[in-house]
Amino acid sequence: MSTAHRKSAGGTRRVTKDRVAKSRTVKKSAAVKTEESSRQTMRRTIRGGRSYFFGDPAIDKVLNMVVVLGSEVWTLRERLAAMEAIQIKRRQLKSGEIDQFEFSAEDEARLASERKEFIDSLFRILQEQVAESRRA
Amino acid sequence: MLELKHELKLNKTRDEKARMNFVSGLRAHVLNDMAAGMRDIYSADVEPEFRRRNRRAPKNGPEVHKAIKTNEYFKFYSSLRVTAQDMVWQSVFPPLERSRPALKQTAARLAGKKPRGTLSLQKNFEVPRYVSAIDVHLMAGNYDGEYETDDLAAGSLYDNGLAVFSFGLMGQNLDDIGQSIAGFIKRKFSDLRPKKILDLGCTIGHNTGSWKDTYPEAEVHGIDVAAPCLRYAHARAQAQNREVHFHQMNAESLNFPDNSFDVVFSSMFLHEVPKKSIEKIMKEAHRVLKPGGLMLHMELPPNDQLSPYDAFYLDWDSAYNNEPFYKPFRDLNPQEVCKKAGFSTKKYVQFVIPSVGWYGAEVRDAAADQQQSVDNDKTGRLTDGVLWYCFGAFK
Ligand SMILES: C[S@@+](CC[C@H](N)C(=O)[O-])C[C@H]1O[C@@H](n2cnc3c(N)ncnc32)[C@H](O)[C@@H]1O
Repeated sequence: MSTAHRKSAGGTRRVTKDRVAKSRTVKKSAAVKTEESSRQTMRRTIRGGRSYFFGDPAIDKVLNMVVVLGSEVWTLRERLAAMEAIQIKRRQLKSGEIDQFEFSAEDEARLASERKEFIDSLFRILQEQVAESRRA
Repeated sequence: MLELKHELKLNKTRDEKARMNFVSGLRAHVLNDMAAGMRDIYSADVEPEFRRRNRRAPKNGPEVHKAIKTNEYFKFYSSLRVTAQDMVWQSVFPPLERSRPALKQTAARLAGKKPRGTLSLQKNFEVPRYVSAIDVHLMAGNYDGEYETDDLAAGSLYDNGLAVFSFGLMGQNLDDIGQSIAGFIKRKFSDLRPKKILDLGCTIGHNTGSWKDTYPEAEVHGIDVAAPCLRYAHARAQAQNREVHFHQMNAESLNFPDNSFDVVFSSMFLHEVPKKSIEKIMKEAHRVLKPGGLMLHMELPPNDQLSPYDAFYLDWDSAYNNEPFYKPFRDLNPQEVCKKAGFSTKKYVQFVIPSVGWYGAEVRDAAADQQQSVDNDKTGRLTDGVLWYCFGAFK
């Protein structure tokens, strides 16, 4: 299977004609064999490639990852909001109680150290380079 | 995110709903806020720079595209828009995959119910390659992908995906186009009183049903090449109590007699079809229309009626959203297209119709009483305050 790279809009676009043709034939013959009992999983990958815009397509890919993470962060927030609303409905929590809540000194200290760990692990990748030059 | 209002809607977990909400919000941000930002950057930086170099303004969409594509904001806009487009479909797959058996059961139950709409599929039907070989607007599997017998998952993917994609601008039932246009036509041509109406490339029939709502006495038909979408369309119409007849047919060669319809309609259809096929489709529309009948296509506005920047903006999809026929279609002159199919130039019509969901019926109806210019940055563009463009002719 050959893949051609075509320049477009300051980036590269992958055109995979052969793959288009092939995936089609595979699907057709599979469909013929399909009996009532057999159910294939839906394909989630896109034929025809995807466009990239930055000089290095890796930037587009990383941006995509950031957005997907953003989506998961948002999903957690909605879930927390649901949890809070349920607790309030069950009268186990008063509206605004979480915003007024203060951690005990002990909890606060534990959180602080966990926060530091979290931040360190987030930027661990940058430390590799530092460690290397220190070794040299 | 918009929740579908009919029985075929997917059961989603709290997290799945939240992901969909996020994608809708992301799309609204890119298409409203970032689009406005990009327009400003163009006016302030890109266009003046172009003038300095060329001693004139850009002449057309491709010149604007070439000038802007090295701009960093354009890159972020585009990259985020591709990401959001992909996430639209990806947000639907998990709940859909889980619901496929239930979906089939619900559809089977709805088929036996009143109203008595019908579904006719053809054995060994040949789907044109321009549908079967691509994943248009990054929709994996496209309209016709099938994964089991009597599959209708592709229809569900489209319905639920459109709900995320449109961030409310296509109406509560995703039929704002149909409701806006059918209502407009009824107001503008009160003598028309159609008995038979045909919708070409109807997909899941979301805009076909509006014609039945607007003209309850009429017999309404929808055709498409994609079987899974038609199966879903039938079930969806039954669920919404709309009597509509769906057929698997190619719009290039319809199995209907000459002079049999009063209205031949399509929406968002022609731009997904190659030029040669558009010619055939127009001829077929002419053939099946009764004398005095109306052919009407809701579409993206043609490039020659837009400013270079707006032309560029709409053609973005053609370059980056797997829409290979989009720009070639928009480069056509709609009046010429109708003439070539046998319609008289004198009977050509073209409208810019305010979205009824956004502006209300009064504004839409007032628009029916006056002429409007196409050159507007809301025409045919999915943005707050959208205006729908359509063209066609009486036979
Ligand atoms: C973008 S969708 C149309 C959506 C819908 N009409 C609406 O109002 O949003 C394009 C549809 O055209 C169908 N199609 C493409 N070529 C066709 C042809 N030659 N005849 C009939 N349908 C066709 C596709 O299967 C697809 O369902």
